[in-house]
Amino acid sequence: MTEYDNKIYAIKTTAKQERTVADNVIKAIEGQKDIRVVAVIVPEELKGYVLVESPDSLARMEQLVELIPHARAVVRGATALSEVEHFLVPKPVVSGITEGTIVEIIAGPFKGEKAVVKRIDTGKEEITVELYESMVPIPITVRGDSVRVVERSEEAA
Amino acid sequence: MAVRKAKKQLRVCRECHRVVDGEACVICGTSNLSEDWAGYLVIIDPEHSEIAKKMKITMAGRYALKVR
Repeated sequence: MTEYDNKIYAIKTTAKQERTVADNVIKAIEGQKDIRVVAVIVPEELKGYVLVESPDSLARMEQLVELIPHARAVVRGATALSEVEHFLVPKPVVSGITEGTIVEIIAGPFKGEKAVVKRIDTGKEEITVELYESMVPIPITVRGDSVRVVERSEEAA
Repeated sequence: MAVRKAKKQLRVCRECHRVVDGEACVICGTSNLSEDWAGYLVIIDPEHSEIAKKMKITMAGRYALKVR
């Protein structure tokens, strides 16, 4: 049993308006005491939803949705913090990439090129790659989120 | 088609992860801000929030989950 009896509700939002909805929750609950919301999470991984922490019932959340533009519906049922706490600690983007992994660069001047990972900098979340099809090996350092894994190296499997 | 004004890129304090409006963080006083951040967290009532406790946040406000 937790110290507070708060539940987590998921509210469906218009695409790309998650942050707006979170800001509007603050505005909506200001100046009225019926609906209590203590926190709102907008995880990057969860598109089209915001998570609302509240001690109130689902019916109250439905009232809240009515007040907020871009909020569409409440997902039926509530969950506990333990189910969503992994969203609070974002995992580094370079996790899952090892040396030798074949990646495709998805941003920057080398967009669309395939490359082999040579070095990983976990702290800066950068990886150094060498282009697959280039004649001479030129190391290029790119940000961890600007690559997509195409094929994992054998050691990682 | 109406020309939409580009949304202002909010910045986040690298020290406390708080979303900052001006040029410096009001709480830390630093101007060490980052425009490269992800995940959004709004704490309204830190005293009654399990999330705030988990994140060790004692002040209400808007925070980023990840700051680069």
